[in-house]
Amino acid sequence: MTTTLGEFSVLPVSIPPLPSFKHAAVHYLYVRRNAPKVPTALDSRSLFLTNVPVDSTDLHLRGLFASLVGAGRFESVSFADERAAAAAAAAREPSADSLLPASAARLLRMSRKRKHTADEEERIEEELRSRLPDTWTRRVRKSGGTAVVVLADEKSVEQVLKAIAKTHKSKKYPTWGEGVEKKVPGLGSAWIKAHNRMCYPDKDMLQASVDAFSAVFARREAEAQELAKRLRNEPDEDGFVTVTRGGGRTAPASRNEAEEARKKMIQKAEKKKEELQNFYRFQLRERKKEQQQELVKQFEEDRRKIQELKERRGRFRPEA
Amino acid sequence: MDSNPAKRRKLENAEEEVEKALALASSSGLSMREDSSGLFMTKNAAGVFVPPRVSKSKIFVLETYELAVEVKLNKTALPGADDLLHRAKECIEKIESHDSLPIAEAASKLEEKHGIRVPFPEPRPPENSNYKVSFAKPAQFNVVGSYVSKTMVESQKDYGVDMVVVMPEEILQEKDYLDLRYFYKRAYYLAVLAVSLQEELGSSAKLSYEHLNGNHLCPVLALQPYRSKTPKTTRQFKADSSKKDYRIRIIPCAPEGFFPKSKLHLGASLNRKGQDEGSKTATQPTPFYNSTLVAEGCFLSYLKLFRQIERKCQGFKDACRLGRVWLQQRGFEGHGSDGGFGHFEWALILALLIQGGGSRGTAALSPQLNSTQLFRAMIQFLSVTDLSEKACVLGAGERPDLQEAVKSGPIIYDSARQLNVAFKMSPSSAAFLHQHAKWTRSLLNEDDVDKLDATFILKADVPFQSFDLVARLKYDGALDESVTADCRGRVWEFRDKVYRILKRALADKELGARARLIHICSKERSSWPLTADSSSPPEDPIIEIRILFDPLNMARTVDRGPTAGASAEEKEECEKFRRFWGEKSELRRFERDSIREALIWTSTTPFELCEEIMRYILNLHIKIGYVYGDLTFYGNEFSALLPLKHTDTATFNAARKAFSDFEKEVRELEGLPLHVRQIAPICPELRHASVKPPSFGPSKSGPRPMECVISFEASGKWPESLAAIQRTKIAFLQMIGKLLEQDESREVKTYVGLDNAKSDEENLAFLDVVYESGASFRLRIHSDLEETLLDRQVKDKTVEQHVRTKATTLLANFRRLHTYLPLHTQSINTYVTRFPALSGTIRLLKHWFSAHKLTSHFTEEFIELVALHVFLVPYPWDAPSSAHTGFLRALLFLSRWDWRLEQLVLDTGDDVTAVDREAIDTRFHTWRTIDPRLNHCVLFVATAYDPSGTGFTRLAGQPKPSNVVATRMTALAKSACRVVKDEGLDLVVKKLFVHSNKDYDVQICLNSKALKSAQRTYATDDPEGRGGDGGGSGSGGDGGRASKFKNLDERTGQDMLPIVQHPSDVLLEQLNTTYADGGPLVFFRGEPDEDNVIAAIWNPHMCERRRTFKVNLPTSYKPVGGVMEVEVEGGVALVEGVAEVRRVVEEEEEQVDVNKEAIVSEIARIGGDLIEEILLPKGGVM
Repeated sequence: MTTTLGEFSVLPVSIPPLPSFKHAAVHYLYVRRNAPKVPTALDSRSLFLTNVPVDSTDLHLRGLFASLVGAGRFESVSFADERAAAAAAAAREPSADSLLPASAARLLRMSRKRKHTADEEERIEEELRSRLPDTWTRRVRKSGGTAVVVLADEKSVEQVLKAIAKTHKSKKYPTWGEGVEKKVPGLGSAWIKAHNRMCYPDKDMLQASVDAFSAVFARREAEAQELAKRLRNEPDEDGFVTVTRGGGRTAPASRNEAEEARKKMIQKAEKKKEELQNFYRFQLRERKKEQQQELVKQFEEDRRKIQELKERRGRFRPEA
Repeated sequence: MDSNPAKRRKLENAEEEVEKALALASSSGLSMREDSSGLFMTKNAAGVFVPPRVSKSKIFVLETYELAVEVKLNKTALPGADDLLHRAKECIEKIESHDSLPIAEAASKLEEKHGIRVPFPEPRPPENSNYKVSFAKPAQFNVVGSYVSKTMVESQKDYGVDMVVVMPEEILQEKDYLDLRYFYKRAYYLAVLAVSLQEELGSSAKLSYEHLNGNHLCPVLALQPYRSKTPKTTRQFKADSSKKDYRIRIIPCAPEGFFPKSKLHLGASLNRKGQDEGSKTATQPTPFYNSTLVAEGCFLSYLKLFRQIERKCQGFKDACRLGRVWLQQRGFEGHGSDGGFGHFEWALILALLIQGGGSRGTAALSPQLNSTQLFRAMIQFLSVTDLSEKACVLGAGERPDLQEAVKSGPIIYDSARQLNVAFKMSPSSAAFLHQHAKWTRSLLNEDDVDKLDATFILKADVPFQSFDLVARLKYDGALDESVTADCRGRVWEFRDKVYRILKRALADKELGARARLIHICSKERSSWPLTADSSSPPEDPIIEIRILFDPLNMARTVDRGPTAGASAEEKEECEKFRRFWGEKSELRRFERDSIREALIWTSTTPFELCEEIMRYILNLHIKIGYVYGDLTFYGNEFSALLPLKHTDTATFNAARKAFSDFEKEVRELEGLPLHVRQIAPICPELRHASVKPPSFGPSKSGPRPMECVISFEASGKWPESLAAIQRTKIAFLQMIGKLLEQDESREVKTYVGLDNAKSDEENLAFLDVVYESGASFRLRIHSDLEETLLDRQVKDKTVEQHVRTKATTLLANFRRLHTYLPLHTQSINTYVTRFPALSGTIRLLKHWFSAHKLTSHFTEEFIELVALHVFLVPYPWDAPSSAHTGFLRALLFLSRWDWRLEQLVLDTGDDVTAVDREAIDTRFHTWRTIDPRLNHCVLFVATAYDPSGTGFTRLAGQPKPSNVVATRMTALAKSACRVVKDEGLDLVVKKLFVHSNKDYDVQICLNSKALKSAQRTYATDDPEGRGGDGGGSGSGGDGGRASKFKNLDERTGQDMLPIVQHPSDVLLEQLNTTYADGGPLVFFRGEPDEDNVIAAIWNPHMCERRRTFKVNLPTSYKPVGGVMEVEVEGGVALVEGVAEVRRVVEEEEEQVDVNKEAIVSEIARIGGDLIEEILLPKGGVM
């Protein structure tokens, strides 16, 4: 069995048989030192895992590493999908496309400045409160996903990699999900039932979250307006003053007006054109010619279509 | 147009008809639009009519032209026919004449000497009769029929080459037309021919007798050449398949004009023998006998006529071929038991219309017309002439009074030859022909429909696809009546009698016709050997009765007969009614104090009602039907499959009623900041289209709410941000819920639930309203600003591509939910009332999709639209009038729909204009150009309300179904249609719904008990209830509070929460997001309630190929162990070469395979106790 693939070490994990599927299987995780494009401080004591099982949780991986190098080495794990969600949330925050009125968001982007105020933390907390309650006790990850595991120290990283190499020799693979049975919410019917239950959150809780959200939203809107006002008066670093509209409301309305005006103009032009049609004899003549050509064209087109049909279906043959 | 009304009145019948048809077409505004092309005039100076208008696209003309060329029979297709004809002729010419002998003596002489019997018609000549027969050389030979006209077509059932042998005048007498004498002589003549032909040609052809077109008076001799049996090479064999089996029919006939026509008119009674005993019947006319006699003398005359017309009219032959194909696809043949209207009759009528047809020698049709126009004209002619109602006279000349004669059978009278061309037709086949012509006419008048397939290509006589009810009647004992004077044969007489009875019983206009069409056909023995007698009874004495319902009238359980009044007229009416219906008829008092004769039936469904009536009335009048074996009914199995009950409609209506009550209550709520503009239902339960009718009241699982959307008056108060709009909606829902619950008289519970949304911009929540009475609804809110914002985002070129893609998906979703679905529901509801069979068709079709595990890949709306399509474009038939015909035709459509190249456009609401169609076409072709591999759009279904064509065939940016699944659907439909066609009436309906699970790689069998328990959730359940990881016990999730004893369980008496999603659906959805989205597995499952097995196949694109390892692989992979074989192959000659080889080795090392065991075991862990067992039907995992 291959022990490494490129720079990854292969970590086989044995999966015990289940009542519904009575075959034991081996799952392969691929592990290497974490080396992201943008280095962070934790890189030296973290491992990059790919092909994590879809039912992985914190505890699962903790158990796995404990069986490799003993307890106490595992610090934390972050899964790719969670990281992506967090990144999206973080990315959204400055530009705030969705949480802000469209015009304000544009303005914010233009200002390219962000105040780092003291109430930042309070804000984050408020935003957390405005989130809707989760409807799952536990999420299933996408197949073949990745995760980053942070260990206690650099030495543990070495040890883990060594332990992985050893499992290949001893053929004693760590077992998946050992010792976590009672600690994580189960999957299966209980999980689905819980989901169906959690889709109906408590009404007051829901109301609170909606209220929190509207508070955030109202404040943001006010901020944006203020910003707009300020920008109208302040020249930027190149000495230009940005021209902005008063509020967010006026834009769509005037857009509608413009649309209508355009329609009217087109109508007028059409009417004028119509009046001059069939006015001169040459126009009539040309029109007739055009019609004839159109007919010929149509005929040719039809012929072509028939040919196509014939090729496609083989033959025109009545069904027996 | 002819301006003189007085003149017009004098026109001959046929012209009147064509004229009428023309007026009809032009009044409907369809005709004369194309005049500028010069191709299609309406009436030229000579007063010649052409058929009205050709469709806008002339493509049909070109198509039929191609078809006529294609079906033309190859010259060499009937090998050796000419040769055989010559030999037969020579042989006949050599026969010696002999002088007259008494008939009995001559016959027995033949039998003794040659062992050949004389095929005398029934009744046979008496032993002691003094008729004399003799033989002389034939006056003339001639090959007639489609062989000489070369109008045979490729796909004919059998090929007959007809040679007529005209008997010389000297052996006949003028008086022979009386009492079958001519037919006895003819039979003897035939037998003599048979003797010598058997001697001469017996080695190269098989000789047998048969009846000419099933006419018992006219036996003919058939020669079927033996095929050479020498072993062939494959090449020869290939050439051979184009060669057809054929037979030569030798037909003796009378010299032209030998019998005085004036004596042979339809009203004459010429066969008086055997009638003398009965006193009244002595003068009963014998129209069939008379017409046969006339026809005997017309062969050559018609041959001449055809030659003439062929020379005169270029398109005639092709039109005959087209007609032949058209008739054949509908099961019509010249044979009396196949309708009696075949190619000959078609050609004859066409020829008569071209030659004369009009008054004073003017022609009804111009010889300048092309074949397509002639075909259309014929269809037009047949569709306006109901032969069973009114006699049709063609050609100038003496015009007899046919009013009386038409009662005994359909009449097409060729006045030049004084022959009723339609004498072989029965009233039932005339009505059937009329109906088919009408259907085809309306098809030809349609604009945007493919005409070729429905007119010529499709086989339109598959019983279950065409008829609502088919019954087989065994008539064995019923035929013991003596032969009637008219000599039509017992079977035909019996068939027509059954028809008359059923027509009166089922298609009585006074009562309101229950059946639109009654078609009866009989199968008869075709040929018998020369040495046998013709009168032996048929082996399979069965007639088939096929009925097309009028779905509204057929469902009637009480028939109201005539009023029982005091006047003599009324009394007579009642008497007649009672005589026909027997003791079933009873007097009843109806509203407004009218007392009527009435019939009360006990069955409930249309099919059963029809069966009950037929059994009763056939038993009453011909003592057949109550014995089970005698009368067998086919076609009811379909409704038994899916319990399609007659009460279902009521249940659906109750759901609608509950919905409108709910709507009213919401509208009346006070305190909502905005006015409610509309609440629209969007779920199949509220449009009569769910497989199971909606259920009210307590059930073992939580209530399943019916979905609807609510929209408010336009308002500027919506916040201008998608996420904020969604939160505002939640607040709104909370408010509606609170307001509804406030009034305690309503007895209603509301729950706000969260959608499984992936981002803040999607719809986040819904409101479930559960009434104590059992009805429950799920409400979502429409905000018009949302659409504007999304639309703006889609069109905004300054934002990033992924944002725009996401906005496009969201917008499509929004439109589906708030625009298309409400309109779709509305339109299906309209059509369900217009077509009573539509609801059943939809449900059967959905059941079929479910049985084949396709449901999870299709939207319900798509299936509904497919079903609707066969109602809107029903050709070659009419709109289906029962669920099973609709279902089978929908399958037929699916099997023939080439969705790669054709879009489906449904004209819902009759407002798709040509411009719209063009726009839809363009859109479809754009899809196909930008996505030729069908990764994004597979099926394209446009409707009047959804011109985008993908509203119901794409979901969340993915095609639904995918290419693979759509191909599977087509394949399944194809094999189903093949079974339907091959097995005919013996079809075992269940077979269509049986699905083999063998093809799947993985089968996930769900535990139905766990599923059921997962459908019950209570508000007091602890959502964090911890069970074991994966394999916990079944009750693990109930949080320990569920007690073994019901009275101790604290949840007893508590309300269950509504079901957000069926557990099986949740699981499938999770599996799909984990594995299916372009991943290693494709999952299949039917309706969640019925199908407990989720099946899956490995995606071949992914699993059959090894991959090089990289970081973001799409699924779980395992390294390939020990692959080092390629190592040394490159050699080590050069330094660069070494580097090359090493790279190859490295790549080999990094190959990975899909880790199937691990994936299956992951699935087992996700499903936990919900999964009973995972099966791998194809053996191991790999």
